[in-house]
Amino acid sequence: MNVKLLLAAVLAAPALAFAQAPNDAQIAHIVVTANQVDIDAGKLAQGKAKSKEVKDFAKQMVTDHSAVNKQAKDLAAKLKVKPEDNPTSQSLKKGGEDNVKTLKGLKGDAFDKAYVDHEVAYHQAVLDAIDKTLIPSAKNAELKDLIVKVRPAFVGHLEHAKMIQSKMK
Amino acid sequence: MSHRVIPVVVVALAGAAGLWFAASGAAAGPSAKHTVTIEATSYKPETITVKKGESVTWVNKDPFPHTVTAAGKFDSKSIAANGKWTYKATKAGEFSYICTLHPNMKGTIKVE
Repeated sequence: MNVKLLLAAVLAAPALAFAQAPNDAQIAHIVVTANQVDIDAGKLAQGKAKSKEVKDFAKQMVTDHSAVNKQAKDLAAKLKVKPEDNPTSQSLKKGGEDNVKTLKGLKGDAFDKAYVDHEVAYHQAVLDAIDKTLIPSAKNAELKDLIVKVRPAFVGHLEHAKMIQSKMK
Repeated sequence: MSHRVIPVVVVALAGAAGLWFAASGAAAGPSAKHTVTIEATSYKPETITVKKGESVTWVNKDPFPHTVTAAGKFDSKSIAANGKWTYKATKAGEFSYICTLHPNMKGTIKVE
């Protein structure tokens, strides 16, 4: 039941929080937070997942999102943009913490299913945010370009997670 | 007088032949090199046509790993960031491949 509530919260968060367009400093913060949330869940799943496929996926999430975060942080430094905390980042962070808390209470197949279900919902939510808010709002061309270039990787993660999810049913 | 002209002609002919060999070598033949760039989680070009016996090198310019995988035909396994992988096309045909890490990435290699 917790998982369903969490999914609802993750899905609803961007829509709630993006009442007004974020500025570039906030967008940079959202990008870094979104990646960090998935790195944290991935690190937990890398050690705790039961199936090799889920473990490998979790490892990939840590690798991919860490690489994107390095790019985002490097770009922010280059542009002298100080990432600025904002309600969207806060709800992403809260959603991530709640997810990790729930996952810590699960094991075996139940853990794998909850982790993968959340990955599907999370990547879908982040893609919606990228399309509806982050890309349209980004002012700096390099920041916009980074998000545009990273977007297909999120689509890839979503498809990969859905593929694993479909085998679980 | 004519004996002074001969060496010039010989050098010119040799130069032209060298150019001809270089040009034909670069354009075709089993030594032709083909490159597919992996960037922004996609293969560029998406479809590549090569001759049997030629090699294709995939260069990963993304900051995270990708694969070049045609199930049952060839599999690069994980190609690291800034890494590359070369495949020698020994069988004629059309092969679709994907990245197993990002299954939305699709490419085709046509071997003639």
